[in-house]
Amino acid sequence: MTPYTGPWTSAEAAHLLRRCTFGASYLDIQNAVGVGMLGAVNQLFFTGSVDQPLAYDAGEQIVPLGQTWVSAVYPTNTTANQQTEGARMKSLGAWLAKNLNQESLSLTEKMLFFWQNHFGVTTSGDARAMYQYLSLLRQHSLGNIKQMVKDVTIDPCMLLFLNGNTNTVFSPNENYGRELLELYTVGKGAQLAAGDYSTFTEQDVAAAAKIFTGYVVQGVRSDTQAQVTSQFMPVLHDTSSKILSYHFANQTISSAGALEYANYIDVVFNQTDTALYICRKLYRYFVNCDITVWVEQNIIADMAQTFVANNFEIAPVLMELFTSAHFYDISVRGAIIRSPLETLCAMLNTSNTTANFDLQSTYQTYLSMYGLADQMGQGYAAPPSVAGWTAYYQAPAFYRLWINSTYIKKRFDVANLLTSNGFNVNGNNFKIKVLDLLNGLSAPASAPQVVNDLCLVFFPKDIPAADQLAIKNILTGGLPDFEWTLQYNEYLADPTNPVFYNPVELRMQAVLNIMFKMPQFHVC
Amino acid sequence: MKRRSFLKNGALASLSLPFVQNGFSMQAIAKQLFEVPKSAEDKVLILIRMNGGNDGLNMVFPRDQYAELVVQRSNILVPENQILPLTTDVGLHPKMTGMQTLFNEGKLSVIQNVGYPEPNRSHFRSMDIWTTGALDINQTSGWLGRYFDSAYPNFPDAYPNVDYTDPFAISMGSEVSSTCQGLMGNFSHAVSDPFNSSNLLLTSVTNDGTYYGGQIEYISTLINQTNEYGQQISSAASAGNSLSGMYDPLNPLAVQLKYIAQMISGGLKTKVYILNVNGFDTHDAQVDQNDVKEGVHANLLKRISDAVRAFQHDLQLLGLEQRVAGLTFSEFGRQIASNGSMGTDHGDAAPLLLFGACVSNGVVGGNPQIPNQVNNQAGLSMQIDFRDIYASILKDWFEVDAQVIQGLFEQNITYYDLLQGCTNSIAQKPTVQQPQALVYPNPSLGQHHLKFFSVNEFVEVFLIDQSGKILQKSFEGQLNHGQQILSFEINVLKAGSYFYLLKSGSRQELVSFQKL
Repeated sequence: MTPYTGPWTSAEAAHLLRRCTFGASYLDIQNAVGVGMLGAVNQLFFTGSVDQPLAYDAGEQIVPLGQTWVSAVYPTNTTANQQTEGARMKSLGAWLAKNLNQESLSLTEKMLFFWQNHFGVTTSGDARAMYQYLSLLRQHSLGNIKQMVKDVTIDPCMLLFLNGNTNTVFSPNENYGRELLELYTVGKGAQLAAGDYSTFTEQDVAAAAKIFTGYVVQGVRSDTQAQVTSQFMPVLHDTSSKILSYHFANQTISSAGALEYANYIDVVFNQTDTALYICRKLYRYFVNCDITVWVEQNIIADMAQTFVANNFEIAPVLMELFTSAHFYDISVRGAIIRSPLETLCAMLNTSNTTANFDLQSTYQTYLSMYGLADQMGQGYAAPPSVAGWTAYYQAPAFYRLWINSTYIKKRFDVANLLTSNGFNVNGNNFKIKVLDLLNGLSAPASAPQVVNDLCLVFFPKDIPAADQLAIKNILTGGLPDFEWTLQYNEYLADPTNPVFYNPVELRMQAVLNIMFKMPQFHVC
Repeated sequence: MKRRSFLKNGALASLSLPFVQNGFSMQAIAKQLFEVPKSAEDKVLILIRMNGGNDGLNMVFPRDQYAELVVQRSNILVPENQILPLTTDVGLHPKMTGMQTLFNEGKLSVIQNVGYPEPNRSHFRSMDIWTTGALDINQTSGWLGRYFDSAYPNFPDAYPNVDYTDPFAISMGSEVSSTCQGLMGNFSHAVSDPFNSSNLLLTSVTNDGTYYGGQIEYISTLINQTNEYGQQISSAASAGNSLSGMYDPLNPLAVQLKYIAQMISGGLKTKVYILNVNGFDTHDAQVDQNDVKEGVHANLLKRISDAVRAFQHDLQLLGLEQRVAGLTFSEFGRQIASNGSMGTDHGDAAPLLLFGACVSNGVVGGNPQIPNQVNNQAGLSMQIDFRDIYASILKDWFEVDAQVIQGLFEQNITYYDLLQGCTNSIAQKPTVQQPQALVYPNPSLGQHHLKFFSVNEFVEVFLIDQSGKILQKSFEGQLNHGQQILSFEINVLKAGSYFYLLKSGSRQELVSFQKL
């Protein structure tokens, strides 16, 4: 891939951070400019750690509030058991939203989300299994993808989700085998004949099902087991030899007990289609939905080559992409419509607006945040099908599926809510910290500079000068620029006095309100 | 497990704040309290914001104190013989011939020395005070927004609907008006050009042929399609008429007022239109050095005067005069004394102009007192509280119940007779038998007041939360016959809905309020 050698300005840095994080502040962008492209890209591969989700809801009946439930049993009593699961799922949902909102300047959350969408898992019946599964994805999200697919294959949550736990020699279940090929690895190509999908056939689905037999899940909502586990039961495993289709050179997978699944996944990853399929998805997630012949031959092919050459480590692929000339090409800037979660986080993370209340209020606030994204069409870890959200794969509309007449209104409703009074949880107010945002800009006292900086943070390309002027007029309330300077300096001299900060806050809220309703905000 | 399992029983931030809480039907009470009379449904109010701080003393002249004006502002003062007389004591700027005509026709009121206690000379803060209609720094809703919230509950979720197809208010330009900020949404809809149904805030969205341009175009189209009011507005404007030839197409305010005449005559049911004129922040070169009756401020005044005159003429020809009234306002007046730069600096009270065929009086309030010595930085003292003007307009024009109006404002209201000049069109209101108890301001933050009428009896007041639990007894005591106002500190309450239960021998009444 041709490396990018052009100028490295705030426009390029902002583009990188918009695509690779859920929302970078003005300061983040300036820092990225300062460390240069390589420095900025390298930073994104820093993986931090997140704390564990904590019990906060009264439905939890095993662990005390404030402690984690991820390795705790469930109550014996059926009602109590259900209530506890409800409480844990709420805790998990809130925790996911919190992680997005409080992400460090790293690709981790963005890639975790990618894999979560890639595998499309929505259910397990046990919040602990879901947590374990998401932790597995987090562990591998910037790591070895072949190992990730192997681990996911026998993960309790996945076994429950795609019926692996009932896939036995006595009654094979094709669910996981089919999705592994169709959605997770080689992908489904054009149908060449009955049961032949270019990249695999029904014969491969049947063989995969047999290969995966024998794993069972134990401990779901158990009152004695602190973890949900998967276990290989030799007696349930199909020990016959499995013959793959001509797409796989009619290879035979011989019986290898508990290790057979891993051998098979090695074979699947040897197929060029697997690397190509995953790289196309990455391209649509990070660059553009339109994979032209040129892109296929010059970008996807190179990505796949790097992927294979590095034994399916994903970091080198991403590193190459984010330092490529194509990634920064003006033709792909602003080509992606922000997903609902990206839209919500762009409103909040750019000002470092987080909820830091008491435990209960913090979790309730984040569950509400989860709910706001859900109302706009995207609940984390709850895609509409195993294929993930249609916006990531459904041609020709792709990202446009995020926005329709209902969802654009919801986006505006959320913008109205967060740029005005926000919402209250137990008396704790949550709204965009517009003053923090303002104070973090290069020259908050200069109205034209405030608008310039905000456009850099929120819009992928320059907007016409007339529009910038219109936004500035909202900031200054139609007054001459120096009046804004006076007002801002008065506030700065006495920052805790509402007589000074209120008017500044109101002007900034009006500006963000209008910017969030401009079409340019909804693309990145 | 279902897809939405994360949300099951989740305490979510609803996009709308429920007014109905556990068993208490506040809507029923609201309905009864806030029924809008039919005759008031047709009324239209125009607000013209003179942005920047209008020099009231260069607009309305106290003719009886010209000598004192000479002391204060000789370098910018219009010659005495050029001032347009309204009465023996009051005159207008020479450029305001249109307004003088309206005054002579009984269609203009000058309301003198309007302001608020403890003036704030920051444009931003003072404009917030004028638009919220409150001195409370924590008030976030606009004065019209609070009125709309009381009259049209469950906004924005329940609107538009079959009965209310049109926006409640239209703000001409690209920004919605803070005067119309309600509890959950802004009641005003920004319109730059009513003939273009586009709701886009800014207009220069073009598809440049890139992926970006394509996405922007797609989103813009969707925004347009989902603009539920766009079609209503453009149809009304197209169906409407404008008959006056007096509008100057080069005067932006005149163009906007003509649009409004077209929208009203085309049947749009919008109740409030807000217009904005920038440029009143005249620290220097307020007047032309060579001819002080000319200059920046004179041009602005002329623009407003001519535009309103043309608009009023149009309304007369269209037969709409009795339905429309208008008010100018600015965040503050300017100082009495001029500065050395042929301008004036931020001041305090200033006159308002109220126009329409239904105005009650020519001049409301007395002339300001101009001292015969220059007092550095002195502004005009307030004689009329602007909140009382708002309240009086709500009462006279939208026929809002006085009890409801009191709930919208923080001060004890004094009413002025402002818009009762067309009394034949105003339906007689049924007298209220038993006035309802009322909390104001509502929603409230620090302190608020409970107003009710009592007979001579022992009264208890309980504070109740939304689950119906009694939190405390807030008051008990023997009260005389008459109006009672009890003040309560509510700082300690968490945000949410609460009720006061008034209990006495003669009644048991529940009154709700929101703690912010």
